Amino acid sequence: MSLSKHAGATSNTGSAGSIGPVGIVANPASGKDVRRLVARASVFDNQEKQAIVGRAVIGAVAAGATEFVYLNDRHGIVANALAEHPHVNARSILEGDTMTALDTISAARAMKEAGCSVVMTLGGDGTNRAFTLGWPDAPLIPISTGTNNVFPNMGEATVAGAAAGIIASGLVSVAEVSRPHKLIEVSIDGERDDLALIDAVLTRERFVGARALLSPEQLAAILLTRADPASVGMAAVGGLIQPVKHSSSKALLLKLCGDNEAQAKHKIKAPIAPGLYTDLHIEDIDVIGLDKPVIWHGPGVLAFDGERERTLLPNQYATLKVTRNGPKVVRISKVMRKAAAKGCFVT
Amino acid sequence: MSTQISNDTLIDMHRRMVRIRLFEETAGKMMEDGKIPGALHLYVGEEAVAGGVMVHLSDEDQITSTHRGHGHLIAKGGEFDQMFAELYGRSTGYCKGKGGSMHISNMELGILGANGIVGGGPPIAMGAAFGNKFLKNNKVAVCFFGDGASNEGSFHEAANMAGLYKLPVVFVCENNGFGEYTPQANHQAIVDVADRAAGYGMPGVIVDGMDAVAVYEAAGEAVDRARSGKGPTLLECKTYRFFDHVGVRGMGLTYRSDEEVERWKKRDPILLMEERLLEQKVLSAEQIKAVHDITSEEVLAGIKFAEESPFPDPSSLTEDVYA
Amino acid sequence: MAEAQLKPRTLPYVSAITEGVRAVMLEQPTAFVAGEDVAGAGGVYGYYAGILDEFGPERVYDTPISEEGIVGLGVGSAAAGCRPIIDMMFMDFLGECMDEVANQMAKMRYMFGGRTKLPITMLTMAGAGMSLAAQHSQSLEAWICHLPGLKVVMPTTPYDAKGLIIAAARDDNPVIVVLNKMSLAIKGEVPEESYEIPLGKANIVRPGTNYTIVAMGRMMHEAIKAADELAKLGVDAEIIDPRTLQPFDTDTVVESVRKTHRALIVHEAVRFGGFGGEIVAQIQEEAFDYLDAPIARVGAPFSPVPFSPALEKLYIPNADNIVAAAKKQLGL
Repeated sequence: MSLSKHAGATSNTGSAGSIGPVGIVANPASGKDVRRLVARASVFDNQEKQAIVGRAVIGAVAAGATEFVYLNDRHGIVANALAEHPHVNARSILEGDTMTALDTISAARAMKEAGCSVVMTLGGDGTNRAFTLGWPDAPLIPISTGTNNVFPNMGEATVAGAAAGIIASGLVSVAEVSRPHKLIEVSIDGERDDLALIDAVLTRERFVGARALLSPEQLAAILLTRADPASVGMAAVGGLIQPVKHSSSKALLLKLCGDNEAQAKHKIKAPIAPGLYTDLHIEDIDVIGLDKPVIWHGPGVLAFDGERERTLLPNQYATLKVTRNGPKVVRISKVMRKAAAKGCFVT
Repeated sequence: MSTQISNDTLIDMHRRMVRIRLFEETAGKMMEDGKIPGALHLYVGEEAVAGGVMVHLSDEDQITSTHRGHGHLIAKGGEFDQMFAELYGRSTGYCKGKGGSMHISNMELGILGANGIVGGGPPIAMGAAFGNKFLKNNKVAVCFFGDGASNEGSFHEAANMAGLYKLPVVFVCENNGFGEYTPQANHQAIVDVADRAAGYGMPGVIVDGMDAVAVYEAAGEAVDRARSGKGPTLLECKTYRFFDHVGVRGMGLTYRSDEEVERWKKRDPILLMEERLLEQKVLSAEQIKAVHDITSEEVLAGIKFAEESPFPDPSSLTEDVYA
Repeated sequence: MAEAQLKPRTLPYVSAITEGVRAVMLEQPTAFVAGEDVAGAGGVYGYYAGILDEFGPERVYDTPISEEGIVGLGVGSAAAGCRPIIDMMFMDFLGECMDEVANQMAKMRYMFGGRTKLPITMLTMAGAGMSLAAQHSQSLEAWICHLPGLKVVMPTTPYDAKGLIIAAARDDNPVIVVLNKMSLAIKGEVPEESYEIPLGKANIVRPGTNYTIVAMGRMMHEAIKAADELAKLGVDAEIIDPRTLQPFDTDTVVESVRKTHRALIVHEAVRFGGFGGEIVAQIQEEAFDYLDAPIARVGAPFSPVPFSPALEKLYIPNADNIVAAAKKQLGL
């Protein structure tokens, strides 16, 4: 059902990249947390996710992808979407039976092992963070079905799928269309064991609880790989004062002073979640270089990419460092321009 | 937006959860020993849901419960004496021995009944919320129901009307993965009951139902939303039933594996809570043990009260059919 | 207030229903009306006409077509302290909400050891005669009379309609008011003021000496016609309209039978398993020795209500059927 006689026929156009299966991870839990209630975040029900995967697969197949591996969640999101393409060589690489982020992490490891040429992730920043925990420098095409979506692509899944298909066919190499994303590497009590893609936050809350950052007055510090005034979430908080681009070799560190207005150097109104603006008091803001360690002391809770993840007890501390060791995020428009130039879709 | 959870609230939630656990363990034993007649559906494993929701409610707020309802009643302030007496079918029970486990209620605590009909609660909770809105009494109704009940037409009618009239009600789905003995995958095409909220014009959110703090935070938002006139919420709590559908060991059916049960037990909501209380130095190990010890004594006192209470007088057989 | 002091006018049954609802809304601040098409449309048979205009959208609610939800709305709001009037457009729709009616509304008080009360009034429309066929024409009162916890009334005249609705709404129990769609245009005297027909009290519509006809609902009117015919044969029939089926006024019926020694029961519902069978049982338990003949019953055949006017006419019991049954019973 390939649209093009060239697509997938690498001998015609010359192979630029490595050929390997397309990985698919669709986080069934994304887009459903309490931010639907406290903010105005969208609900992504699993029928919608299935439809998005379906479109991405159609795009990938049209562009010549022939082999898929996927995380089989209990909802059957990917399996059901692939069932509509019986001719496609698809296999489950992992049965996601924990129904937690562990499924995504394990699937990432398995996909690296399987030699995936590119992986499509469906979720928000949190989903991609989990994937990165399993495969830090993965070639990724992130598709948005989450809450905070600084990291994923907001474009149409059909086209994202086509880009994946072109890469999987070897027509375009990941290296020529991607740049490694920045990463916040986190050590707790000196042991490297966590990471974030966009933001790490220290909040004075005490529990992970419902995960979303519900109490902005408790925010103590924010470390950002990207600060974008055109985003929502923590990236917007920094971005509205001091933007830092994806391409920049800088990071942004903010210190907040809660309700203590007197100490505030900046008072800003920022969209900390979709549809939710809050007044925040920023005591200090610093542009810092890559690889520079930042130390945060407990007590508090560490949140990564929008969700509270780790409790930091009073005697504990976290060391955070922004590097450029993150996933290779594919620029879809660049892939498609190259594909067009090579006539991949010309029939 | 929520504020920092206080130590008092944590201690309160923990106490409610321990009370449920110890009551249920003993009730289950008494049933399997033949001392309590009929069938008991026990709440063990799901305590974080009742605990995390009920701390947001006053005695005036209403709840509707389920066939697995003891936990809701206890968390809302039910007394062991009258509860055990009811389970024993004695005249001193909350329902004078006429309701039993599946209909245990206490109007003074706003409990519009456990319910033997799966899906019986949603229309009643919706109606209570309608009444609250009509009477402008600022009360909130909370409807507890399961993944199984979410397949009943009654749930859908009630949810639609709650959304339509923007009623002060919170639908709390205790998704324990089973409709009686049937795994969720065999009884509905979805995994997240919260997905159904969109069809009724209300937000649907999911929280970890084994984590009382998570439930507390989300339920707080949902109850506030209801009380402030913004309408209903569907809050899905992913949880698990440690005991069988009926009783403790139940009928020993093979509808789920021991491994699955053990995996969930690693996330026992009470252990999870106690780890946190210790970690955050909210309670010491001795203080936690004291909560268990005091509760155990109350359980024994409740059993004693029930066993020493009289059965209902024959003359009461046809009493209370009508007001 | 004595009935003689009230100012009667002649009104159709449909307007008497409206007056009953209006009186309840005026005297009970926690009463509201909820049901399908009751607000903007004023009810499919128009008996809520003007109620929305007078009492406003805070007290009159159109609901979705969700019968279980409607009854649940009644049960829950009553438990919360309201005195709801809920509308079940057609009695046939009880099938959509029988759990809420039978397992929740009827039983809640007993199950809770008497620690709650549910002052709910449900209006519903029964009866055949409009070619509405099998799902909009039934008389299902036997279903609900079998449920302890419910009260059931069946007003026959405009006067009774208003008075029974008011009594139902003042009662602290769930009361189902079974109205009849072929009675809507029947006229009768109705006082302007609020008045109550006591629940559980039958009405001797026509006194007689040697024959008792217990006629439920619209069959009362057919019984009167039949009694006129029977009079020509020397039968002086006493006609009793029970008005309330649950609780049933056994005393009035038994007293009549002890006097007349013969009885016939007539209802529009299917004869087999109908409420008439219960009345027969009550009579034979209390007055067996007074009976000079087996008790006769007239009811609809054991069939769903047919659509075609030709068949529907055959289906619904009428004065001729009553006369025929009486003549057979009496050997006339």
